[in-house]
Amino acid sequence: MVTHGLALSWLGGLFSMPLALHIPDGFLSPPVTGVTWLIAIALIAVCLKQVQSAYQERTVPLMGVCAAFIFAAQMINFPIPGGTSGHLLGGTLAGALLGPWAGSLVMVAVFIVQGVVFQDGGLTAMGANIFNMGLIGTFGGYYLYRTIRFALGRDNWRGMAIGVGVAAWTSVVVAAIVCAFQLALSGTVSLSVALWAMVSWHLLIGIGEALISVATVSFIWRTRPDLFYDSPRKTRLSAPALYR
Amino acid sequence: MQSGSVRPQLTLWHRLAPQTRIGCVFLLVLAIVSTPNGHWQTWGVYGLAIAALILLTRVSLSKLLQRLAVESAFISVVLLGTLFRDGGQVLWQWGWLRVTTVGLTALGSVTCKTGLALLALNLLTLTTPVSQLFQGLVALRSPPLLVAILASMYRYLHVLQDEFISMSRAAAARNLIGNPNRHRLVVGNMIGSLFIRTYDRGDRIYRAMLARGYQGLPTVGQSPPLFARDGWALTVTVTLALLGQAIYLLP
Repeated sequence: MVTHGLALSWLGGLFSMPLALHIPDGFLSPPVTGVTWLIAIALIAVCLKQVQSAYQERTVPLMGVCAAFIFAAQMINFPIPGGTSGHLLGGTLAGALLGPWAGSLVMVAVFIVQGVVFQDGGLTAMGANIFNMGLIGTFGGYYLYRTIRFALGRDNWRGMAIGVGVAAWTSVVVAAIVCAFQLALSGTVSLSVALWAMVSWHLLIGIGEALISVATVSFIWRTRPDLFYDSPRKTRLSAPALYR
Repeated sequence: MQSGSVRPQLTLWHRLAPQTRIGCVFLLVLAIVSTPNGHWQTWGVYGLAIAALILLTRVSLSKLLQRLAVESAFISVVLLGTLFRDGGQVLWQWGWLRVTTVGLTALGSVTCKTGLALLALNLLTLTTPVSQLFQGLVALRSPPLLVAILASMYRYLHVLQDEFISMSRAAAARNLIGNPNRHRLVVGNMIGSLFIRTYDRGDRIYRAMLARGYQGLPTVGQSPPLFARDGWALTVTVTLALLGQAIYLLP
């Protein structure tokens, strides 16, 4: 780690930033734990089936590296407007790049490894974490982004940028609101305190998330637009034209 | 991930099959977490059990506390929120902030639960290498496809982290971090270009796996055999979990 000193000072420390949306063990009551786990297991099962049928034998290597990519991307700190620094959560980005199923599966893999290997987010609370950031963050984020982008025009950059930005911000804020409700339902924190603390903080985090997601997507849009799950039709049509 | 000071296969705990260790810790965490607020003696029993386990496994205390300190740093922020709530006797008030007995109980209870659960989980990961954890997960009937994805992810985690670190070092060396806007743009470009490389890398990995005889189904290592001691360990854990709850259930 000594050799990483320079880079680390720029990154702001690999593990310094609290992942506020990762609920630890002990914060949720048994009913909330049970319900969120059931939903998470259903999500995982459907995702596995969908991804397996779409990617077939490429599933393991491709999903593995993409999950590692999201995990590594979450460790980079960047300045958030307002003076603090934050890091990417990556749900909407994963959805836009890999689609709702593969994106959710990649996020689920990230949560499991974070929870089991690095103790970042609890074991019993993992269902809730998957529900918040996998289902709402990635799945919800993807469909919001898709709706906005397709409404503004699938093939222009303006629709893409607005879609990704709005969806990234909204998914983070909605996930924070749902997280606050889960904590309040469990009787851990009163609803007003939970909402106030979680949501006010994530309004800012969401801005950072949106800015970084749009910057990332713009790079891929300029260099390899074919990699998007919903790639713009221009490239899709022009590629076969070469072989006509 | 090396457990450091603990030599493998040395203590009784290390000789248990990984799935038994996962099962014991999971049962214990479940029992800790589902205890109602204010049942201090129950957590006392579980705390003693974990202390005994720490002695048994001979993990280094400094390492355990170090990991605990890092992990509890960001939990404490959420923890404070549990203090401020209505109900019970008002102990202290300043403006709209008030600390009540109910709030204090909630804070103490959640601290107990989170702390004990973290201790138990850290014990598991300090004594069980990641490859064995994955083996245990497969033996516990997790979908093999999911575990294969997790294993493949864990293998490339450090590779991608290193790439990010070298990219950020390159950006820092070229003075690309002048103002926040520029900084965010550079980070976005970094993430974007790493995604493109990652996706291509996934294809290369797949082809390399094919060349080595990959059949499309992940190969799962032989799950280690179970002995009588695995059954005993689970029995002791369940008994302890029930014993802790029994304190408040029995008149």
